[in-house]
Amino acid sequence: MKNIPKNFSKFLMVFLVAAIALGGASSCNSKKKLAKEQAAAAEAKKIEQANNDLNAIINGTSGWTVDEQAKRVATIKSYNFDDPEIQKLIGEAEKAIEFGRAEEERKAEEERLRMEEEARIRAEQSKYAGIDNQLAAIATASSVDAANNEINSALQQFASPDAPVLIIISQENGVNDYDRPTSAQNFLNYLKDVKGYNFKVVSVQRDSAGKITELELLKKW
Amino acid sequence: MVKQMKKLALIMIVLIGFVATSAIAQDNLSPERKQAIDSLALEKVRDLSKYISLIGSKDTPWSEANRVIDRAEELFMQGSEIGVSSLTRTEINYYTTRKYFERLMRLNYDKVEIDWYNIEYVSDLQRQPDGTYVGVITIFQKFSAYDKEGRLVYQDTTKKDITVYVKRKETQIGGRLIGFWDVLLGDIRVKETTI
Repeated sequence: MKNIPKNFSKFLMVFLVAAIALGGASSCNSKKKLAKEQAAAAEAKKIEQANNDLNAIINGTSGWTVDEQAKRVATIKSYNFDDPEIQKLIGEAEKAIEFGRAEEERKAEEERLRMEEEARIRAEQSKYAGIDNQLAAIATASSVDAANNEINSALQQFASPDAPVLIIISQENGVNDYDRPTSAQNFLNYLKDVKGYNFKVVSVQRDSAGKITELELLKKW
Repeated sequence: MVKQMKKLALIMIVLIGFVATSAIAQDNLSPERKQAIDSLALEKVRDLSKYISLIGSKDTPWSEANRVIDRAEELFMQGSEIGVSSLTRTEINYYTTRKYFERLMRLNYDKVEIDWYNIEYVSDLQRQPDGTYVGVITIFQKFSAYDKEGRLVYQDTTKKDITVYVKRKETQIGGRLIGFWDVLLGDIRVKETTI
C-alpha cells in the first residue's frame, strides 16, 4: 500500500507527459491544416487577381502604360502558376502588349511626322513671307504710280515678265484645281487693278541665278 | 499574232477604263470643288466690275485704261456682247466687248462712277453634255455721270444678267500637266433700267 502512491505519481507523470505530447501533436496538425488552407486561399486570390489583370490588359481596360502592363505580366509569369487558363491569358496579354507597343511606336512616328510637317510649313511660310508682302504692297499701293513702282521692283525678282503664275483654287486628295494660268506681269497688274491680295505663295521655282521662273499661289476664299 | 492582238486589246481596255474613270471623276465634283468653281466664276465678274470702273473713270490714265481693256476682254468668250440702256430711250443697244469698253472709256462726261453690287447667281452652274458648266450671274450697276462743276448730270441703275461658262482645260507648264478651270463670260443682257 505504501508503494501505491509512488506508483500512482509515476503513472500520473507518464500520463501527463503523454497527454502533453499527444495534445501538442494534435494542435500542430490543426495549425498546419490552417496554414495550408490559408496558403490555398492566398494562391486562389493571386490567381483570381492575375486572371483579372491579364483580362484587363487583353481588353485594354487596365489603364496602365505598356511598360506597366509588361511589368505586371512578368510578375504573373514569375509566380509559375500551374493553371492552363492563366498560361493562355499570359500568351494573349503578351500579344496585346506587343500590339500596344507597336501602336505606341506608330503614334510616336505619326506625331514626329506631324511636328516635322508643321515645322516645314512654318519654314515655308516664313520663306515666302517676303514675296507675299511684296505682292500685298502692290495691292495696297496708294496710287497707280506707287503700284507701278512696286510692280517694277517685284518684276526684278522674276526671270521674265512672262514667268508663269499658277493659282490654286482648290485642293483635294493631293489634286490641285487651278485658275487659268497667267504671267508674272499680268498677275502683278491684276493686283494693282483689283486692289486686293487674297493669296498665299505656296511654291517658288527659281533658276540658277535665283530668279523666279514659276510662282504658285493658293487662293484664299 | 493572236497573242499580240490580245495584248493590244488589253491595253485598249485599260486605256478606255482610265479615260472613262477620269471623265467620271470630273463629272462627280465634290461639293468643295464645285464651291471653288462657283466662287471663281463670281470672282471673275467682280474683277470685271473693277475693270469697268477703272475704264470708265476719268482718273485712269489712258495707257492704263487701254491695258485694262485688254485684260477685261480676256474675261469674255469671243463674239460676246454687252447691252447698254438709258433712261432717255427704250431700246437697248448691244456692242461687242471691245467696242463697249472703248465707248465706256470715251464717255462724254467729266467724271464717271460705275459701281456693281448684289453680284449673285440667278441660275447655278449646271453641267452641260459637253462638260461645260453654264450659269447666270445677275448684277446691279449704278452709273453716275458728273459735269466739270461736279454736278450729277445723269444717273441710272441697271439690272444685268451675265452668262458664265466654266470648262475644265489642261496645259503644259514647266513639263507639268496643269488642269485648270477656264471661266469665260458670255453676253451681258440688260434686264431693267431704273432711276
